[in-house]
Amino acid sequence: MPMLTVHTSTDLFSSSRLGHRAPRSAKEELDSEDVVMSDADSAEPEQESDDDDDRIFSLDHTETGDGDARVTGVVKSRHIVTPGELVTAESMWMRGHGTYSVGLKSYSSVAGTITRVNKLLSVAPLRGRYDPKIGDHVIGRIIDVGTRSWHVDIGAKQAAVLMLGSVNLPGGVQRRKSESDELQMRAFLKEGDLLNAEVQAVFTDGAASLHTRSLNYGKLRNGYFFTIPSSLVVRSKYHTFELPGGVDLVLGVNGYIWLRKHTQQLGEQGVSITRLAEEAGWEIYSDENEYISPSIRENIARYANAVKALRYCEVGVNEARVIAAYEASKEYRSPGEMIENDVKKRIAKHVLLATKG
Amino acid sequence: MASRMEIFSPEGLRIDGRRWNEVRHFRCAINTHPVSSDGSAIIEQGNTKVICNVIGPVEPTLRSRVVPDRVSISVKVVVAPFSTIDRRKRSQNDSRIQEMCSSIQHVFEDAVIAHLFPRSQIDVNLYVVAQDGGVLQACINATTLALIDAGVPMYDYVCACTAGMLDREVLLDLNRIEESDMPFLTMATIGSKRKVALLQLEMKVQFDRLEPMMAASMSGCHHIRDLMDNEVRKHGKSRLERGSL
Repeated sequence: MPMLTVHTSTDLFSSSRLGHRAPRSAKEELDSEDVVMSDADSAEPEQESDDDDDRIFSLDHTETGDGDARVTGVVKSRHIVTPGELVTAESMWMRGHGTYSVGLKSYSSVAGTITRVNKLLSVAPLRGRYDPKIGDHVIGRIIDVGTRSWHVDIGAKQAAVLMLGSVNLPGGVQRRKSESDELQMRAFLKEGDLLNAEVQAVFTDGAASLHTRSLNYGKLRNGYFFTIPSSLVVRSKYHTFELPGGVDLVLGVNGYIWLRKHTQQLGEQGVSITRLAEEAGWEIYSDENEYISPSIRENIARYANAVKALRYCEVGVNEARVIAAYEASKEYRSPGEMIENDVKKRIAKHVLLATKG
Repeated sequence: MASRMEIFSPEGLRIDGRRWNEVRHFRCAINTHPVSSDGSAIIEQGNTKVICNVIGPVEPTLRSRVVPDRVSISVKVVVAPFSTIDRRKRSQNDSRIQEMCSSIQHVFEDAVIAHLFPRSQIDVNLYVVAQDGGVLQACINATTLALIDAGVPMYDYVCACTAGMLDREVLLDLNRIEESDMPFLTMATIGSKRKVALLQLEMKVQFDRLEPMMAASMSGCHHIRDLMDNEVRKHGKSRLERGSL
């Protein structure tokens, strides 16, 4: 059993962090000078983090002209900051995400790059979970059916909620959701179902509220699901694409991806809200897959492996790149050949060359 | 006395050829398992090797894990049966492993900016693949790197290092043979200042010998912080160059 276990970090916010260093004992001064690495081939430690009292955030002068907060627009620095590194000691800046402040000084709390929007300084992490924004087209999986709402996993820090009032009823009737609708919620969407939806609102704690009140959104079927990091998804006006080879791609902004057999979507037939009643029957909540031919299945597998190749090489994913990767993959007879890492690299290289112009 | 001579020779060399103030070969890698976890890292300190996977922050799987105003961190340590010389299966309920889990959990509850993610959880899974002394310090260092990779906001790096006392000589970063021969402590610091997050001493040691041990291990922690910081910057730069951001 331990004789002594102490957990202390109480002075993290005290003024001692701000002020000068406490004088060290002679013994310790000696020790810290003496510590060296045993192996010579390792890199020398950078001294950058030690003299942080002198470092302040400075903008790239070539980009902005000068380090003036009145310069508007978004400025992204290419300099990497790591947790605990001083971002700015000047009070003119506002402190955004990825920073914490002690007194007047603000420090980075994540490893990433500094982004400036007017007077707001924030640090964008290199990696991180999806951060929902209003209007994002996302794909989610139902994890829980509650009272008057579903809980949906969208790969964010919190599960999203889909209110019963934010879905279309079968038959498209426009009315208040009654108690009988509440009782048959599992008939619409049950645990494990996949759906695509739009982020309607974001709460203060980062949780999202979704809606599917459009025929573009709703339950997903006839396809294959996989994920990529959300940072690789390039935001665009549309996130549903009809690809060559009879395949549809739903590229969720949260990095969840759905590839399905192309079917005439209800929304594409120019359904006005008035005709919704005839078109949106119970089939929008159907669990039954249609017949999918072997060639379509192979195309879906090919597209999936093409996107996974982009994921492996950390190339941003958009419609043009997916199609380019699909074209590049045709050189391999079977989609199964594309799981080799060499092949993935070759495809990603081809895609970057093809989509450059 | 003969065995003591081997541990620390009169010439000032230790059993593996280091001086008293030298840490073992330190190798780390970040983002090693990008698909299966949100953040991941591998740490090698000498022959001790630890893999860390971090999942989260995510919605808590159990209602009991929900803390209304902060993120809850849970730590699981898996010690592989093949990690030591005596091949032995350790259960998850092993009291030593449980104690290590709670130590790591307490350290990181203080280091992570917990109030930013209310009602969510972070799972830290540690796999001890090979152990040659300093398992706790390697676990803490690996967790720090994996949390940074996951983009979890932290006040600063948490770095841990051990120091032992043989007669009147302080030895830094002990290996397994040295650990079994002398009292030693594990210290974890937050950042490159003198902030101690964990101080663990399991044996009896004279009070006046505690301070030199603490001083040595603290400078070892700061040294390890620099090594880890280098690796994080190197990784960040390579990501920027690839244009993945």
